[in-house]
Amino acid sequence: MKPAPTLSTAFLQPAGQALPAPLLELRKQRGAALVDMPLPTRKTENWKYSSKRLKLTEEMAISLPTTGKAGSALAVPGYKVVFTNGVMIPEASEYPDLDDISIQRFGELSEAQARDLAERLDSTLDMKTVQFAGLNTARFEDGLVIRLNPNAVLDQPLFIINEVTADASGSAFPRIYVDAGANSQITLVEEYISSGQEPVMVNTVTEFTLAEGANVTNIRLCMDGENVQHIGATGVRQQRNSRFESHCMGFGGPLRRHDLQVRLEEQGAECKLNGVVVTQGTQHYDNHTTIEHIAANCDSEETYRNIATDKSHAVFNGRIHIHQDAQKSNANMNNKNLLLTTGAEIDTKPELEIYADDVKCAHGATIGQLDEESLFYLVSRGIPRREANVLLTMAFINELVVQIPVEAVRETVHTRLNQFFDQAFQEV
Amino acid sequence: MATTDQEVTELIKREYEHGFVTDIEAHSFEPGLNEDVIARLSAIKKEPEFMLEWRLNAYRRWLEMEEPDWAHLGYDKIDYNSISYYSAPKRKEDMPQSLDEVDPELLRTYEKLGIPLHEREMLAGVAVDAVFDSVSVATTFKEPLAKAGVIFCSISEAIRDYPELVQKYLGSVVPHTDNFFAGLNSAVFSDGTFVYVPKGVRCPMELSTYFRINAANTGQFERTLIIADEGSHVSYLEGCTAPMRDENQLHAAVVELIALDDAEIKYSTVQNWYPGDEHGKGGIFNFVTKRGACMGKNSKISWTQVETGSAVTWKYPSCILRGENSVGEFYSVALTHNYQQADTGTKMIHLGKNTSSTIISKGISAGRSSNVYRGLVKFGPRAEGARNFTECDSLLIGDRCGAHTFPYIESLNKSAVVEHEATTSKVSDEQMFLCRQRGIDPERAVSMIVNGFCKEVFKELPMEFAVEAGKLLEVSLEGSVG
Repeated sequence: MKPAPTLSTAFLQPAGQALPAPLLELRKQRGAALVDMPLPTRKTENWKYSSKRLKLTEEMAISLPTTGKAGSALAVPGYKVVFTNGVMIPEASEYPDLDDISIQRFGELSEAQARDLAERLDSTLDMKTVQFAGLNTARFEDGLVIRLNPNAVLDQPLFIINEVTADASGSAFPRIYVDAGANSQITLVEEYISSGQEPVMVNTVTEFTLAEGANVTNIRLCMDGENVQHIGATGVRQQRNSRFESHCMGFGGPLRRHDLQVRLEEQGAECKLNGVVVTQGTQHYDNHTTIEHIAANCDSEETYRNIATDKSHAVFNGRIHIHQDAQKSNANMNNKNLLLTTGAEIDTKPELEIYADDVKCAHGATIGQLDEESLFYLVSRGIPRREANVLLTMAFINELVVQIPVEAVRETVHTRLNQFFDQAFQEV
Repeated sequence: MATTDQEVTELIKREYEHGFVTDIEAHSFEPGLNEDVIARLSAIKKEPEFMLEWRLNAYRRWLEMEEPDWAHLGYDKIDYNSISYYSAPKRKEDMPQSLDEVDPELLRTYEKLGIPLHEREMLAGVAVDAVFDSVSVATTFKEPLAKAGVIFCSISEAIRDYPELVQKYLGSVVPHTDNFFAGLNSAVFSDGTFVYVPKGVRCPMELSTYFRINAANTGQFERTLIIADEGSHVSYLEGCTAPMRDENQLHAAVVELIALDDAEIKYSTVQNWYPGDEHGKGGIFNFVTKRGACMGKNSKISWTQVETGSAVTWKYPSCILRGENSVGEFYSVALTHNYQQADTGTKMIHLGKNTSSTIISKGISAGRSSNVYRGLVKFGPRAEGARNFTECDSLLIGDRCGAHTFPYIESLNKSAVVEHEATTSKVSDEQMFLCRQRGIDPERAVSMIVNGFCKEVFKELPMEFAVEAGKLLEVSLEGSVG
């Protein structure tokens, strides 16, 4: 067997030294651990369908330059923090200075705070399965720590706009860490956008720890351009009676990969994961989710919908793991897929791994096309075929889109979906 | 569970009833594997030259292969040089001409197993080919089958007598490069069953093979090849047992089915290899590659399996649905107890138009066992209008066992439709309460509930097997309550 290709050492040279010593140290450690990291191949189980899409050229190894200014002005109905190429732009960001909620850049942390953070980073993820999160830790130049004191409630959604300006090849490594104290509440919107045309990689890690009774909603909007390979990971650890809700809205690209890992570590924790993916052209989108039921009496509910058209490729891999002590777990996973054209491909793998007997677990997955009878019904009532197609396709995912609790995001998603429909369904 | 009765726990110790060793003289090879061993094996079987070449080819390729480790299984590494690759009951002369010439000790073994080998004791209409350790010892009902034109014999005979059929089809569905265990089997398979059903013939009776591993330190590598020519129909049953031994024994079989236009093959297995004792010691390692190809249009292949034995099971009976309108079916009950591990499931590869497949898998885990369903449903770009329905349910009995589901679903055709659903549950307290309230003891109640859980699969089995499977389940489950 020929040896698997390894990550070029060029990727292990972090830029930007404006970080507290403990974080620089952590970066160095992770970098050292990644020397000779084998790149995923078709034989790598969790990259089986996506490895051939991963194209890391030497030119992409360098960090994209920190421009110091925001690329596009974005009006958002709430607080916002703007990152360009993985570095925060304070001038473009607007968020309140509150007593019980602190929003800080990594660079602003005191030595003690940074030491504490360095210990927490990566702790929500199973680093063996998300190697690229390790690469983020080895390379981040900036980052955001959001800490909510007990009972703190952020009154408006916080938008984190992550933009990359791809005027030259390179990479960006946005990093977010959210520590939600007991009974605190926050809605965090992550938006990933890009400008420029050169091939770049965006490698993101977002982590959440939820203390007892915390309530966190995370919306992830992946709207990078056709030149961006996006590899992201989100890790969540939940304590007693906390609730985590995630809405991942993904629009395809040359490579989109998102790993979402949730650990229900104490009784009564609950998570709800929704996801919508649409791909067209030769796009590729790969969602991998893992829900670990570690403690008893936890609930999880997962619903993902994929739509693939043209020659695109959508992948879903959902895993529910019920540990031995997680009796009375309730877990539900549902993945439905719409394959609009022959030539596109959908692969799904809903996994259950169960070690406790008193549990209720179910998963379902389907792949199919639009129902001919429903189409006929609409067409026979005078609705043009194209419109009928759009209606039914929209109905397929709208159930999830309407659940997004921030109206502005819903609108953005609808606009993007309409563009998608315009291209996917030509006038007939 | 509320029914933690003392007497129930005591029932746990019900032992494996096929665990006896038959004391007959056997002719065995020294343990070890090399080209010499393969050449000797081939010579003993008086195989034609092409077979030896075929085996050596497979062996050389196998040397380069790596043992797969992706399955959800944990077992000590197998030392392939500590296994004897040939063991045969010693015979004075050549092959026996009739049952009277078969070693009476051997026949007694089969009687103990309750196999209707002797024609007089036969259940109506079952023709048996019995494979003892590595070789086929007796085949019954040859004559009426021959009259119908059906060839039913050991694969060694087939290699000698029907080389053109063997050459054409052997390895056509499972090539020796397919996987590690199939490669090993291709190199060293010692015997097995060959069935050919000619055009338009409906095989007049159920065909059946019983496999038994008897000698210590041997592996059993049988090879089954079933060809159903145009418009034919055959139903085939397979059963397996082994003596109780402390060390693990290896069983690596390959089964190939070929269904041409309008043909139908129904393949049923009741696998009851020795599962090891209650501490997980001993037991058979069962690494089996089974695959059927629906080559012709309107052909159908149906797999039904009841897996209760083996310490480790690694088995994925699959269908390649190439012909238009071809149908694949997979019905499975896998029961694991004590420290048994099963990683089993199926692959349905839809290549042709309007192909359809059904997968019903019922996994039951008890004790400290682990039971995995692993399956692949794939629709190729030409599989217009293809359809799959999958249901895999798991039942957990006890809180130290595991039940897992790893389904892969891949679709490249927009008009293909796949539905997959899976559930996991336990024997509910309400069900138990209802039964106990009516005076049914807990042991029986569980057995009833489990039987009900498996009903969908059992009804696919031929009648005699369904009864056996039900009984087997009951035996294997004994002691799992509490």
